[in-house]
Amino acid sequence: MSLLTLEAVEKRYSGPSRQRIVLRDVTLEIETGELVVVWGLKGSGRSTLLRVAAGIEAPDSGSVRFEGRDVTEHGDDLLGGAVGYCERTFRCAEGQDVLDQVTVGLLARGVAPRRARSRAQRALQRAGAEHYATQPLGWLDAAESVRVAIARTLALEPSLLVIDEPTRGVDLLERDGILALLRSLADAGIAILASAGESTGLAGADRALVLSEGELRGAPTAELATVLPLRRPAGWRATA
Amino acid sequence: MGVERVREHQAAMQSPVNWALLGLVVERPSYAYKLAQRFDSTYEGALSLSSTSHVYTALRSLLDRGLIEEVTGSGTGRQPKPCYRATGEGVKHYQRWLISQFSEERRRQRLFTIELAALMSAPELARAVIDGYEQECLREAGQGTLEPQNGSDDAPLQLATRLASEENRLAVGARLAWVQYVRRELRAIAERRPPAR
Repeated sequence: MSLLTLEAVEKRYSGPSRQRIVLRDVTLEIETGELVVVWGLKGSGRSTLLRVAAGIEAPDSGSVRFEGRDVTEHGDDLLGGAVGYCERTFRCAEGQDVLDQVTVGLLARGVAPRRARSRAQRALQRAGAEHYATQPLGWLDAAESVRVAIARTLALEPSLLVIDEPTRGVDLLERDGILALLRSLADAGIAILASAGESTGLAGADRALVLSEGELRGAPTAELATVLPLRRPAGWRATA
Repeated sequence: MGVERVREHQAAMQSPVNWALLGLVVERPSYAYKLAQRFDSTYEGALSLSSTSHVYTALRSLLDRGLIEEVTGSGTGRQPKPCYRATGEGVKHYQRWLISQFSEERRRQRLFTIELAALMSAPELARAVIDGYEQECLREAGQGTLEPQNGSDDAPLQLATRLASEENRLAVGARLAWVQYVRRELRAIAERRPPAR
């Protein structure tokens, strides 16, 4: 059984005058420790695909299952726990500095404050963001924000991390560091589903797929993926 | 035929090995044997020398064209080994050759589009070709990310790896976007086509 399975998923958005099919018969399986990246042009439906996969949005037809459980029925249990959707925006109400932002999700789940801070610090370290733990949110640049967002999700110890365009707005020289971080998380056993609006975001992926006009192209399962030599993005570090 | 004319005529050098060696000499002066070693580590998998003596043949050709020159080496033997460095003319020719590679790439891409357009009367065949092309692009998307060789302290080589990786990633993105455009064109053609009887 795959960690995440999307089967014949269809998603439509209705406007005042017409209906648009955003996802058309999408089938995808993701295994533990796999880094799967979906490339698509703007408006291709890549963000919708990620939200549906994470259980934030329900498909109009088809099914999304995480470890065999339907995410539309168990979404509240899974999301923010085993399934981590990485939000890149921060709400000031959840804390003024980085450590607060990473801690708040744990506190909300009933983790004791001291333990929550310790877990948050470990997550920041894992994401390479420990140096700005005490910084105000407004001081973070794009790459730092992504690392903090990843840390916030990691603190909840997900089995699947879903992240929309992790390298969007990130400085060119910082970009590979973010991709290397995702690669290292996958190597450590966390499944990653990411999207990319630029092909540079496909680097280090186990499987790269294209979403075009709602259709997902490429290998929908790991078995069908082209066997490639093991590679790592430039700048990869074991401790990234 | 004057010397300059000879050089101009001979400068139409076709051998990629000769150009690659010239690039190495432009990077920094070297002895022939060292150049052979640098050639192997830099162009591994992309270009190869038929034998070590291939380096000497190529260097002779570059010398004859005035693209490199010999300078006295620092060897301690009875006959100091010659060291080779690029002439000003050699650097200029190398730059021009690099730029010409872009047009060669464009020519190949243009050829592919013409060949693809030849399948216009059979859009389903063209779609199959473009599907395969897209899969190849996806396969390539991860290939530009090879980590520099372990233990290598050759900074230009690491830079070359990073530059090649970035160029490949950006090129793949452009091709993937182009594939989406081709699909729309092919679908429009298929929709205009009268149904088969």
